[in-house]
Amino acid sequence: MTDYFIPRSAELSLCFSEPLFLQDVNDRWSLQHPQLYCPGQKNQYFNKKAFASCVMHSCYSSLILFFIPWAAMRDTVRDDGKDIANYQSFALLTQTCLLIVVFTQLCLDTYYWSAVNHFFVWGSIAAYFAITFTMYSNGMFYIFTSTFPFVGTARNSLNQPNVWLTIFLSSLLCILPVVAFRFILIQLRPTINDKVRYKMRKEVLPAPAPRRLLRRRSTRSGYAFSHSQGYGELITSQNFLMKRPLKRASLFPQTDSPIFQNQPQHYLDHQQIKKLTDSMNGGLSLLLKRRVAILVT
Amino acid sequence: HILSHYNHKHKYISLEFNVKNQLKFTNRPDNTAFTQQRLPAWQPILSAGIVIPGFVLIGLAFIGVGVALFVTSRSIQVLERDYTGDESGTPCASCANSNVQNSFGFCFPQSQGPVFFYYGLSNYFQNYRRYGTSKDDNQLYGVLKYFTSPSDNCAPYAYNSNNQPIVPCGSIANSMFNDTFKLYQTVNGTRQEVSLDGKGIAWWTDYNIKYRNPTNNPLKDAFNGTVKPIYWSKPAYELDTSDPSNNGFVNQDFLVWMRRAALPDFRKLYRRISQDKYPDGLPAGNYSLEITYNYRVYRFSGKKKVVFSNVSWMGGKNEFLGIAYLVVGSMCVFMSIVMLIVYAKFKFPDEE
Repeated sequence: MTDYFIPRSAELSLCFSEPLFLQDVNDRWSLQHPQLYCPGQKNQYFNKKAFASCVMHSCYSSLILFFIPWAAMRDTVRDDGKDIANYQSFALLTQTCLLIVVFTQLCLDTYYWSAVNHFFVWGSIAAYFAITFTMYSNGMFYIFTSTFPFVGTARNSLNQPNVWLTIFLSSLLCILPVVAFRFILIQLRPTINDKVRYKMRKEVLPAPAPRRLLRRRSTRSGYAFSHSQGYGELITSQNFLMKRPLKRASLFPQTDSPIFQNQPQHYLDHQQIKKLTDSMNGGLSLLLKRRVAILVT
Repeated sequence: HILSHYNHKHKYISLEFNVKNQLKFTNRPDNTAFTQQRLPAWQPILSAGIVIPGFVLIGLAFIGVGVALFVTSRSIQVLERDYTGDESGTPCASCANSNVQNSFGFCFPQSQGPVFFYYGLSNYFQNYRRYGTSKDDNQLYGVLKYFTSPSDNCAPYAYNSNNQPIVPCGSIANSMFNDTFKLYQTVNGTRQEVSLDGKGIAWWTDYNIKYRNPTNNPLKDAFNGTVKPIYWSKPAYELDTSDPSNNGFVNQDFLVWMRRAALPDFRKLYRRISQDKYPDGLPAGNYSLEITYNYRVYRFSGKKKVVFSNVSWMGGKNEFLGIAYLVVGSMCVFMSIVMLIVYAKFKFPDEE
């Protein structure tokens, strides 16, 4: 009744904090494996099929989370003969099963366990039990009598071994199919994410991105050039918008801007750009290639 | 924000962007591990070395626990007798229409350990929401102010037809179970009463914390100006005339009844066979149970039964947990074999 907000608040605190600290493969791996962007563009993880499988998984979990406690609590009693199949104990048992399943599922979905993740996950579970025992304690009952009628429920049911065995059974029955399914899918049909993650674990970082190659040969595309620090003043000064034509495809004319003199001027001609695009074959996306091509013509 | 457009005529590229922010970079986040999502992190993946042995271990553990649960559940002795009397030939067949005392006999094998005596009801929905909220927690905590003005939750069992307040109000209290039982052992042709112990059959938190009697002495004075619930035969302060501490709201049978059941088929503890005379549990023999049939369940097709049971570390007899653990354990072991086959055959290659 009034205490359904405990599991909700614990879940919400966990669900909202988890995405904040999700990590991804870093920029080097993203450049090395541009196919990582394909699932997003193809809507592979957010389509009707994914939704349908999510609905089926939810239905299965809901059935398990009700019927396992129901079957375990039918006609049974505590180990001292007293009542355990009462409304409040049953509610607490189902609620705890649900929370444990949610936490375990979130743990499965967390691929990067930083210190913050650890704190939020274990902290949420601890907070749930702390809040439950507090809400069902004598003190809260004395202060707000009709708001906390579940006094004593946690103490009298969570000290029973068959309650914990039921919780254990229902949570594993919800989680193990997911684990098995994911494992088999990784073996039979690995996605690009799985492959990259596997490679990341097995190998050290790959050779740095082709940008270093550029520097050695002292060639930078104007596109990259315009994004780096320090050239804002030059570009906004509009000094380069000169009217006189240039032989080569130079992007910036010679001026006496002080910033300019600190950095060497590098221009690209047709052959260099062609070599550049060939070397970036498979490295950069087609989009970047097109941009470089625009600069050439 | 930089816009670039290409000027065909002059073969230049002109760039326009916001002049104001060019050198300030106020919105750029700090280059720390925390803000750039570079915190050192453990990155587990579902590798075969973890999943397959894990499944085998879980499967074996579950099978072990399942065997223990099943064996324990099998060793619990339970005796049930339905006494609704809805069909002729069943115990209490004549009771359904009139208030008679009836008794029936049964054999009890030698029990191991203390025996508990339960009454069970079927098709009785104590988990119905309107029924469940129909009580006044403040009244049951002994706050006298609420004796004369019960809360609205108790309606229509808050005031009687003469507009007098009912204490304890509400539907749960009103429907309290009121059959009584007496157990006799037949020894050498004579009936000896088996003493039943009614102390401490409710939760200690209910008895000590949740329910309180008003502090008036005698207790009867607190109930001045109020009436007993409509279906009760005795007022709350006279529920147990043999034991003065077992009256009012802390009466053990009342507490057991107020702890409402989750499911429509439930059993509630009535008494335990006292251990003074039978420290090793009930001996084998013939017994007879004498029932005072007060509680009418015929109107809603309910059923009543008595249950004698002993308990173990896992509680009462419940074979579901043992069987479920065995089944899940075997399925885990089977799945681990399947995954091993899949892994051995279809291990995804290191090269893309």
